[in-house]
Amino acid sequence: MTNTNTILYLDGVSVSFDGFRAINNLSLVLDRGEMRAIIGPNGAGKTTMMDIITGKTRPDTGTVYFDGTHDLTRYDEADIAMLGIGRKFQKPTVFESHTVEDNIALSLKGPRTVLSTLLNRRSADDARRIDEILATIRLEERRDELACNLSHGQKQWLEIGMLLAQDPKLLLVDEPVAGMTDAETEETVRLLKDVAKRHSVIVVEHDMHFVRELGVKVTCLHEGSVLSEGSLDHVSQDPRVIEVYLGR
Amino acid sequence: MILRALWMLLLPLLLLPGVARGQDAPLGEIIARFANVEKFDQTEALVRELGATGDPGVRPVLEALAEGNLYVRKVDNAIFIVPGSGKVLKLIDPLTGEEADEASSSALKKVRVNNGLRRLIRDVLSTLTLGAKSAEARMAAADTMFANPDPAMIEALDAAIEAESDPAVKLRMERARAAAVVLSDLPESDKIAAIELLGSLGDRSVLSLLATVEANADGDLQRAAADAIAEIRSVLAAWDAAQNVWFGISLGSVLLLAAIGLAITFGVMGVINMAHGEMVMVGAYTTFVVQGAVHAFAPALQEWSLAFALPLAFLVAGAIGVAIERGIIRFLYGRPLETLLATWGVSLVLQQAVRMIFGPSNREVGNPSWMSGSFEIGQMVITWNRLWIVAFSLGVFVLLLFVFNRTSWGLHMRAVTQNRRMASSMGIRTPWVDAFTFGLGSGIAGIAGVALSQVGNVSPNLGQSYIIDSFMVVVFGGVGNLWGTLLGAFSLGIANKFLEPYAGAVLGKIIVLVLIILFIQKRPRGLFALKGRAVEA
Amino acid sequence: MSSSLFGGGLDRRILGLLAILTSAAVLVPVLNLAVPPTSSFHIPTYAVALLGKYLCYAMLALSLDLVWGYCGILSLGHGAFFALGGYAMGMYLMRQIGTRGVYGHPVLPDFMVFLNWKELPWYWYGFDQFWFAALMVMLVPGLLAFAFGWLAFRSRVTGVYLSIITQAMTYALLLAFFRNDMGFGGNNGLTDFKDILGFSLQAPTTRAALFSISALMLAIAVIVTAVLVSSKYGKLMIAVRDAESRTRFLGWRPENIKLFAFTVSAVMAGIAGALYVPQVGIINPSEFAPANSIEIVIWTAVGGRGTILGPVIGAVAVNWGKSWFTAAIPELWLFALGGLFIAVTLLLPKGIVGTWDAWRAARRARRSAGKGTSQVEPPVAEGTTARTTRHSIEPQPAE
Repeated sequence: MTNTNTILYLDGVSVSFDGFRAINNLSLVLDRGEMRAIIGPNGAGKTTMMDIITGKTRPDTGTVYFDGTHDLTRYDEADIAMLGIGRKFQKPTVFESHTVEDNIALSLKGPRTVLSTLLNRRSADDARRIDEILATIRLEERRDELACNLSHGQKQWLEIGMLLAQDPKLLLVDEPVAGMTDAETEETVRLLKDVAKRHSVIVVEHDMHFVRELGVKVTCLHEGSVLSEGSLDHVSQDPRVIEVYLGR
Repeated sequence: MILRALWMLLLPLLLLPGVARGQDAPLGEIIARFANVEKFDQTEALVRELGATGDPGVRPVLEALAEGNLYVRKVDNAIFIVPGSGKVLKLIDPLTGEEADEASSSALKKVRVNNGLRRLIRDVLSTLTLGAKSAEARMAAADTMFANPDPAMIEALDAAIEAESDPAVKLRMERARAAAVVLSDLPESDKIAAIELLGSLGDRSVLSLLATVEANADGDLQRAAADAIAEIRSVLAAWDAAQNVWFGISLGSVLLLAAIGLAITFGVMGVINMAHGEMVMVGAYTTFVVQGAVHAFAPALQEWSLAFALPLAFLVAGAIGVAIERGIIRFLYGRPLETLLATWGVSLVLQQAVRMIFGPSNREVGNPSWMSGSFEIGQMVITWNRLWIVAFSLGVFVLLLFVFNRTSWGLHMRAVTQNRRMASSMGIRTPWVDAFTFGLGSGIAGIAGVALSQVGNVSPNLGQSYIIDSFMVVVFGGVGNLWGTLLGAFSLGIANKFLEPYAGAVLGKIIVLVLIILFIQKRPRGLFALKGRAVEA
Repeated sequence: MSSSLFGGGLDRRILGLLAILTSAAVLVPVLNLAVPPTSSFHIPTYAVALLGKYLCYAMLALSLDLVWGYCGILSLGHGAFFALGGYAMGMYLMRQIGTRGVYGHPVLPDFMVFLNWKELPWYWYGFDQFWFAALMVMLVPGLLAFAFGWLAFRSRVTGVYLSIITQAMTYALLLAFFRNDMGFGGNNGLTDFKDILGFSLQAPTTRAALFSISALMLAIAVIVTAVLVSSKYGKLMIAVRDAESRTRFLGWRPENIKLFAFTVSAVMAGIAGALYVPQVGIINPSEFAPANSIEIVIWTAVGGRGTILGPVIGAVAVNWGKSWFTAAIPELWLFALGGLFIAVTLLLPKGIVGTWDAWRAARRARRSAGKGTSQVEPPVAEGTTARTTRHSIEPQPAE
């Protein structure tokens, strides 16, 4: 963790719910600027791992360091978001009764106090940033529409856009292509690759085709710990991975 | 004074069994002397003398004397008991108890008696009863003497204690003796021993006696009295605590009954049923109606009307519950706050309907005889109806536990509690589970109403008075686990009753409410919360 | 007054409401005082008091709407803040009675003399000063809401749990204020007021003035609410309402956002209570009854939560209905109220204003669809709950 090139460092992390070990002695290191794909069967602990990184769940044991010095187990969700970790949920979660533009505006990096929101006036800088993000996520056309009127895939993009607006150092993206058409999946691959140029990213996904398209290092989780790690080819030929996940 | 001293000298002698008992001759002689008395103190001496014989046969004479029924026949100075009044009176032989003769009232002279004498007779009689055959009578005698301790009785008590075989009665006698010793002129060491005995018995009734001693004596005696008082107080405090625990358990059982149905519907459906209290009320009114009907059509079954009311209340409240679920709540799933408002509306309608049908005033539902009265354990009073309700609520709890853990309906309900979507995709018909659950929860509320009708008034506001407490139980205990409700109900009940003596009923309740509000900060989902990621999904 | 003044918070409808309120503030006193009773335009004094009462209720409903409609906090204890504000005003009015009380004690209110109290409890100090009482009207409910909210929101007590503990809060206060030794007059509460700031409460002019002040205060409350909800803060409130965890993972602190709304709302409710008490002439513990607080919710629901017009319309309409029912067929009022709860939640979840808006939006959408200028949208897409419309844009089967 003294290594300045490490953005996220998990070591020996365990957590259990009512006796069920969701995460078991999990260790994971993510380099700065790296994009990592996490795969694994249901119940492997993928979402719980994200819960731990974002402060929603406290690990029973183990250490979680972010950006070298920050012990994430000591912060809550809002603090961690401010430290620079953005999270997209498995189920796309956007502010349905706000317009697409307002969704981005509420996510823009900036002070997070009540007072600041009362006195807020949108600066030209903010406006430019919003335009930029809307362009990235290809929702410029629909900026004045309510988010509840977006398609499932567009909501996924909007949520990624909201993460970008936060300008985080690390993005955690949970199942970004679930429920997307093939064309939308292609778009998402392009979008994530684009994002990964400037940010560290962890993507959790079941869609092996999508993971292959990303072309990044893969970690396979099983029963709360790392089963196999490496290139997709390496991982998908690991007999243990075939046994528990990919199937023979 | 002299007489009394004399009597005290004589008494132990006379009380010796075999010396005094069953010897008719001296008894008859003493009785005959009533013919010659002229002053009350002569009568008094005779009474004492009779008492000193220790013969149970003197009882009718003394009782007759106290009631003014003892007469002297003027012609021969014979003594008779003459019950009743009129021109011609029956004369009863005081020793045999048989009718001896008849005489006109003018032929008789009454043996006069005054209040002082009556009191003396009562004491003498109780001394006599110390030798009675029945243990109950002996115990009653000892208690009478304890209530009016008299040093003159010490010897009688000593003898009785010696002869006593029943340990419980013996203890009461020793208590009476100790009380008498404290007031006597006996040496200080005896008194201290007596005080210690009284202290160890921990009885509220000797407190004033000991307080008098403490105030008037000095030195060791005073210290002994003070110690005994402190000892008694601590014993009493323990009993008071026990009594409070009991009251708390009793309140807890009522809360358990009222809350458990609520906990089920909240746990399984995530729905707060604000009309739950009205289901309790419906159950109570069902009891009222059933009792009226039984009284009118089958008075012989009066004692068992609750047995009819119980299933009927379950069905009536359960049916209303199912109707509410099918008619209103199923349209509001996923919107718990709206459900809360709609069921509040239902509660207003139900309340007003009951008010219009049965009137706004309280209705009384009688207790069957097996639920009335009370009994004591040590210094605790336990009423039967409360005891039955505690037993009943635990019975209901065990039954529900069985339904939940051992039946397929229970399995379905638990499945829906933990993950509704998954349960539904596994083929569980969640709408049926919901309707059944709501019916069950409401039915339980109905039978809670039957129970509550036995401890309080039945009024249209009955439900309102329990609803907030029931919410608190559910919030405190957490959902999805019946044990949480049990623990919640009894801890709130006991906490309430423990705070009451210090803070008063109202302030106690406020403190409990504030404590729960604070507790929720620590455990937002109650004592027994479901954990895991399904919960917040 | 231009709408741009307040960052676009005041739309045409709200400006209309403000116009109605300000003109009522002028007209009602005129029609009451200047127009002779024989005229058909005359408004009798009792009606002025009644209307004033409705306006206080409207303000109370608006305060609830701020937390429930916009921030998703269903408070079942807002009656408590209203009553606390009312008690603070009542204490001032009590101290104004002075020697004119039954016992003629210069300092102690009658009920304290009756209870044999020798001196004024410390918490009654200062209430002889209007400014102090006015401060307390806002401070006491505000502080309670702040303390309560700070505890509850920080521990993430939400949904029905929160509703139930707010109910427990007002219930605890109800029990507390019933106690004689609390020093607030026990179950009789505070009453027999004589005058306010030297003006007799019985005088028609005072009553008319109180009405005007209520109308103006409501107008101010409407402006404050409108400005709040149209600011970035208001958007955040709605964001917290719809997706609390999303705001948290974006770095916001939903507990602070809720706490601010809850406190502002409580202060508003307290002011409503303070205006209410001199107009009805009494404040007693029954105002804390949980049933009262739930009734506020139904006013808001009937009018339309999440709108500014809604709670005002709802409070006036429901209370007008209540006045009518309790005079004409009192035994049916609870049936009507209960039925209203059920009907509104089942049939009119968005309330009068919300439903009207949805209907107009749907009509506009149909019209523009007819012109073929924009893509076809199913009418439900306009704003019903997000849940039902989430997938409305997804490919529809061809018809």
